[in-house]
Order: sequence, then C-alpha cells, then structure tokens
Amino acid sequence: MAAAPLAAQHAPPGATFAGQLVPALTRVDPIPGGDALAELRVVQPVLMLRAARGPWRLQATLDGEGWSMPGGELGPGVWGEGFVDRRHPHTYVHEVMFTGADLLGTHDGAAHVSLSAGKGFAPFGTDDPMSRPPLRYPVNHHLAQILERAVAIAGVGTGPVLLEGAVFNGDEPEHPSQWPSWSRFGDSWSARLTVAPVSHLELQASVAAVHSPEHRPGAGPDQDKWSASARWDRPQPDRRTYLLLEWAHTVEADGFFAFTSVLAEAEVRRGRHRAYGRVERTERPEEERLTDPFRSLRPHLDDAIVGITRWTVVTAGYGLRLPLGTLGLVAEPLGEVSAGTLVETTGSIFDPAAFYGRDTFWALTIAVRLSRGLEGHRMGRYGVFPRTGPADAGHGP
Amino acid sequence: MRRCLSLVTLTALAACSSDPTTPETVPAALSLVSGDGQSAAAGALLPAAYVVRVEGPFGGPVPDVTVQWSASAGSLSAPTSATNGAGTAEIRHTLGGAPGPQPVTATVTGLAPVTFTATATLVPALVATVPVPANYGLHDTFVRDGIAFLSAWNTGVQLYDVGNGIKGGSPAAPQWISTVVTGSTNGGGARAHNAWWFHNPTNGHKRYLFVGQEGPGSVGSTSSGDIHVVDVSDLTAPREVAFYHLDFAGTHNFWMDEPAQILYAAYYNGGVVALDVSGFPTGDLASRERARIQPGGAANTYVWGVQYAGGSVYAGDMESGLWQLRFTGTAFTVVGGGNNVPERWGSDLWVHGTHAYTGTWGGLSRNGNYGNAVKIWRLDAGGAPILADSLIIASIATVSDIEVSSDGKLLVFSAEGGLNPGVHVYSLADPEKPALLGLYPVSTGVHTASLADIGGKRYVFAAKNPSSPALLILDITAFAN
Repeated sequence: MAAAPLAAQHAPPGATFAGQLVPALTRVDPIPGGDALAELRVVQPVLMLRAARGPWRLQATLDGEGWSMPGGELGPGVWGEGFVDRRHPHTYVHEVMFTGADLLGTHDGAAHVSLSAGKGFAPFGTDDPMSRPPLRYPVNHHLAQILERAVAIAGVGTGPVLLEGAVFNGDEPEHPSQWPSWSRFGDSWSARLTVAPVSHLELQASVAAVHSPEHRPGAGPDQDKWSASARWDRPQPDRRTYLLLEWAHTVEADGFFAFTSVLAEAEVRRGRHRAYGRVERTERPEEERLTDPFRSLRPHLDDAIVGITRWTVVTAGYGLRLPLGTLGLVAEPLGEVSAGTLVETTGSIFDPAAFYGRDTFWALTIAVRLSRGLEGHRMGRYGVFPRTGPADAGHGP
Repeated sequence: MRRCLSLVTLTALAACSSDPTTPETVPAALSLVSGDGQSAAAGALLPAAYVVRVEGPFGGPVPDVTVQWSASAGSLSAPTSATNGAGTAEIRHTLGGAPGPQPVTATVTGLAPVTFTATATLVPALVATVPVPANYGLHDTFVRDGIAFLSAWNTGVQLYDVGNGIKGGSPAAPQWISTVVTGSTNGGGARAHNAWWFHNPTNGHKRYLFVGQEGPGSVGSTSSGDIHVVDVSDLTAPREVAFYHLDFAGTHNFWMDEPAQILYAAYYNGGVVALDVSGFPTGDLASRERARIQPGGAANTYVWGVQYAGGSVYAGDMESGLWQLRFTGTAFTVVGGGNNVPERWGSDLWVHGTHAYTGTWGGLSRNGNYGNAVKIWRLDAGGAPILADSLIIASIATVSDIEVSSDGKLLVFSAEGGLNPGVHVYSLADPEKPALLGLYPVSTGVHTASLADIGGKRYVFAAKNPSSPALLILDITAFAN
C-alpha cells in the first residue's frame, strides 16, 4: 500500500453547519457514598460551523453543556476541571479556529504550510472523545487531549508526514463561560508528529509542556505530557472499520506525580448497525473533595492530592443509525455498558472500597444521538492533515 | 376473576405498606430535616433555612399542612408555612441581638413539636485587610514583636510591621517591610507555608526566620518541601542562608524549644524531626538533625503539627491522632497517645496547661465523617492525652488551624467548607466544654488563624482563602471573659 498523501488543501468554498445532541439516561453503580444513581441529561449538544474560502478556513463549535448539564455528566472515573466522577461541561465556545492552509502555495514545493489561531485544541494526543465511537468519555481525557485553549499552531506537511507545533495558555477553564487567560498565552507549548505510512493508518506522537493547568493564576505545578497512538480507519459508504491504540503519560511537579494511560478502542459498522468497544487502564489523581463529593476544591490551596487511582474500564456499545428524512439528520438509538475495577496505587488515604463501597463498578447508558453532518468528523485537527480516509474532517464535510 | 382479586389485593397491600414517597393525608409525625445547629452573628440572617417534614402513618409525605413557627429571639420570615408535595416546610430565621442560643419551635396541631437551636455570636471586628497575590494566597501568619510574617506561597514570605514601629505600622494599618522568596523544589516556586522567628535566649539574637515549604504530596504516603533559613537581622533585606532537606518527606508546621535551641518540625510521612538550630546555621543543615520519628510507623504516619509543652513533644497526625513523645537529645520515644481519632482525619493541635485541642480535616471523608470536630484532650499527670470530649460543629468541613490564647481563656480555630467557614472563637471558662462566643464568617474559608496580643489588644491574624486571598486582622479584645 502506498503512503497516504496530505489532504487536499483547498476545501470547497462556502459554509456548512453540523451538530448533534444526545439525550442520555445513564446509571452508575456505585457513585461516591456507595449508592447507585441514574440521571437523564442532554449531553454533547454542539453546533458546528465550518467555512472555507480559498486557503482560509473557519472552524467553530458551540457547546451547550453549560446549560444542559451544568453539574456534569455521570461517568465512572471521569475527572477534570474541578469535577470528579462526572465529566465537566465544556465551555460554550468550545472552539473557534481560523486557519490559513497551504499559505505558501507552490513556493514551498510539495510541502504545505498552515497557520491556525484561535480558541481550540492544542496539537497533542488523539482526537477529542466527542468525535470517537463511544458516547462515554474515557478516564484519560485530561491525559490525552489539551482543549479549550487560546492557541497558535504552525503546521508543516510533506507527503505522509505532518509536524505541528503550538503555543497556548496552560490554564484549564473553570466554568463554561470562562475564556482562556489571555495573559498566560504562550506559557505552554506542544508538538505533534503525524505519519500516515499507508492508507487508512495514522501514527501519532506528541509532547507538551503545560504550565500550571489547574491553577489559573499560574502558581500550580507544571505538567510534561507525552502521547503516542496508532489509528486505523477505513470508512466506506456502507461500512467502517476503526481501531485506535493509545498511550498517554503525564508527569507533574518535576516528576513527583505520574499518570499513565493505555487505551484500545474499536468500531465495526455494517450498514445501519454499529458496534464498538473500548478498553482502558488509566491513572488519575484523587483530589480533596468538597462536601459535594462530585466536586474537588478550586482554586487549589496547595499541591497535595489524596491518592492516585488506576481505573480499568471495559466499555461496549451498539447503535442503530436511522436516517431521518432528506435533511441529513440521523437518529441513532444506542446502548452502552461499562464495567471495571479501580485500585489506589500509592498507599495514600484514598480507599476506593471505603469511598465507593466497593472497588468494582458498572455503568449503563441508553441514549439517542441526533446528528447532522458529523460523519467522519475529527475534532481537534486544524490546517494541513494527512488524509487517511475519504471522510477525514478538519477541512469541512 | 381471580386475577382481578389479586390486583385488588396487591393494590391494597401497596397502599398499606410503608412508602416514604406516597402522599398521605393524615399527619402523624413532625420531624426535623435540616438547619439545626447553625451559628451566625447576632442580628444576622442564618445561612440556611429550617426545614421540617410532616409524614403520615405509613411514612409518606403529607402536603398542605400548616406549620406554626415561634422564635425565642429574632424574627422569622413568616409565622407559618405549609408543607409541599414532599411533606416539607421551611422558614428563615434572623437572629436576635443578644449572643447565645436562640431556639425556634415548629408546631403542627396534634403532633409533638420540634425545636431548632441556633447560636447568635459576637462578631470580631475587622480592623485591616491585606490583599495577598493569588499565588495560592496566604497559608499562615507568624506574629512576634509587632512583626507579621505572611507565608504567601509563591509570593514568598512577606514581612509587615503591625506594631513593631520599624515602619510605623499597626494592626489597623500594617506597613510592608520586605519580601523574601525562598528556594524552589519540584517546580512551582517557593511554596512558603509557615514560619517561625527564632528568638534565641542564649545569645539574644533574633536573627533567623525558619520557613516551611509545602511541596507536592499525597496525603498518607508522600510529601515534599524543605526548611529554609532566612537571615532577618536586617528586616528590610532578608536573605536565605541555610536549608534542611529530607529525601522522602516534606515539612509542615513548626514549634521551637527556644531555650534548648531545638526546632521541632512536623514532616508529614517523615514524622517529626528535631533540628539543632544553635549558633549560625549556614548551608545544608543535614548534620544538625538530632532525631526523627514516625510515631505511627511507616504506614500510619502523616504529621500535620507539633508542639513542645511541659517537657513533652506532642504530634498531631492526620492518620493516627495525637501522640505524646519525648526527646532525649538524641532520640524520640513514644510516651503516650496515638491511634486515638479513628473516625476522622486529624489536623492541627494546640496544648495549653492540662489540656490539648486538635482539629480534624475534611478534604476526604473518613468513615463518613468530615472534619467538623475539635477533639478535647485531658492530659494526665505524665502528660499523656486522654480524650475528654469532642466539640462537633455541624456546619463546617475542616478545622484547619487551632490555638489557645496565652491566658488560656479563648480557643480560636479557622474553618473551611460547609455553611459556617471562617474564624470561630470559643470561651474556655470550662476547658473541657468550650462555649461559642464569636464567629467571623468568610465564605471561601480561612486556612489559618493566629493569635497575637499587641498594644493591650488581642487580634486574630486570619488567612482568607482564594479566590481573593488576604490577611484579615480581627480585633477580639471584647471577647475576653
């Protein structure tokens, strides 16, 4: 098989809209305290605009989770931005990125140079979980992606190779309406190398240095992050085969804390039927909790945690894709189940069996994904991009 | 027909069974749901409503029942309120002007009444606010000779004249003198957490400030951070001259036996360290370590604070409670105490005379409990702690710092989380039954509260938590009893 070339640099002019929302009933057993809890929430309500004119691109995503799930979404092991055992709501302006693609035209020969700037994903790690097969977010979200930052990205691609570098602000958002701390723009950086050695296969390795991500004024410890992944994606008109293998590693405070994740994820689609699964083993910090056990203290008072837990989670799901009329709308009833175990790894005071009542868990989600125009969308990729399949996005549908 | 009978039977059984969610019509019991035990300043609106529940004979809620409320002092938002679909009714209470308990009674005709008791407190007078940069803010304040040393994390240690005279400052008008940023480890800056200004009685020197650095840690297993020694012989130009480092642990609070020239340092998982601070400490002080102990053993030690009193060294351990130790000059031995607070995580300690008081920490629940308790210890003839009582403060999550006034009359602690975070002041007229005198509420919580007597008045130097961290200086002279 031949190496995959870079994706076409000039998308068709015009603007397209895409979007989705997912009413989801999720039951998690146990939650903190030992009980089970079921909640109905509208998750991942997003509206996307993608516009192109010549080499210029705009990618914007509005996210309504701040309204639909201000208290977060139940999910075993998920964490970040002050939420624990609940996924945090994204910021309302999830991304708005301006890109100049192939800015040098033929002056750089076969190479392609792009510049992107705005609010969005830093070039690090894998695609955002919102654009991947399972509905439930993985535990490793904050180890494997860097999102919602004020970011400037330069990308250089030639043949099947793409190198991206970026500077951005290190601080994570603390609530849905918060913008990046502009005064901290440039205090963090990342770089990602992507290679598509053969069609449908994409290899990625990236590194990042993030200053004080969890303390907005900047006094918190820094993180050094690494990621490597292999992604096989072969979408065809009536079928798709997808596989992702991922490793992510974050060290904090000059190596005092270390968190590692390995993850495998797959999807097989035949016609309307979609089956998928994910296995991950991820370590996360356990922080001081408030009297609301789903929330951790923000802003931090110090650099202490109460333990590190390792979550082993197996997730399986099935969806039935049902086209609705001629507007491109798709309804996908889906069911997803997760089960797993967790252990504390450091000998600290966090005792999973005491906190949750036991050290095993399961979760069930019944949902309907209502979407339009999201087929093949890959969130968090801007500018030049190695083409690995006909539905590659990041350049408009 | 049989099926119909079965359905009727099942329906009847369901109607007669105990179901706390099925509405009923006949009130059978009145119970207290929430709001009891609150404290607020005299004349203030309590932060939470009083809530009662009316239930029927089968435990279900009874809606539309009139609850009559009566207050012994202060005012209520309404004289009556009606139960809702969940069977609950609520009322808000604005406290009367006199300090002390102020009960409110809820009554439903034909049922036994229930009583809520709130406590009206005096309010310490805020005399000054010193903003601190939000580099995690302010952790602790050490006050001596009219100088306040603010351990302000990555901002360093800030020196203020609060009555010394060097800059004409006073508690009401603190004047900045200087700032020293001590060394950094594990990235992230100075992380200045606490300080002790050493007054050496053997030579009269007031030359050295010992600064504790609180580095990253995982509670119960790991910690980091060094002791930094700062030469403050020129208060306007302090400079670091020495440090002490322990490979596997980090320091927390200090106490000093000044006549013996020994610094006792709480060292979390490292236990307690005794350091010789005589003479002129310079460079690496590793050779000055005189003794070290993990009183609960390697797997059961995480010491928050330490105090030298009555010839013993007391250690407050987050995991294993209050310990009595003895330092021989070359070694520590365990004398008494230990493994005596199993239901909560421990925090700070203070020993005064024949009693000790320890706080509790609520960053994570232990056996379902948060850090809403002050443990009261009676010291036996040999100084060993015996638990005398527990003061439970229902509306806070952590007692983060605790101190007894030099005359033994007042117990002051800082509180975080819950409905009543802030500075709490209790009378120790009965040292085993502290009585609430005053509360200075701070919604974001207060991390530490240090007492100082300056110019004939008594002040609390309170470290207000972020997001707008500051030193709050409170006058509690009126609390003397």
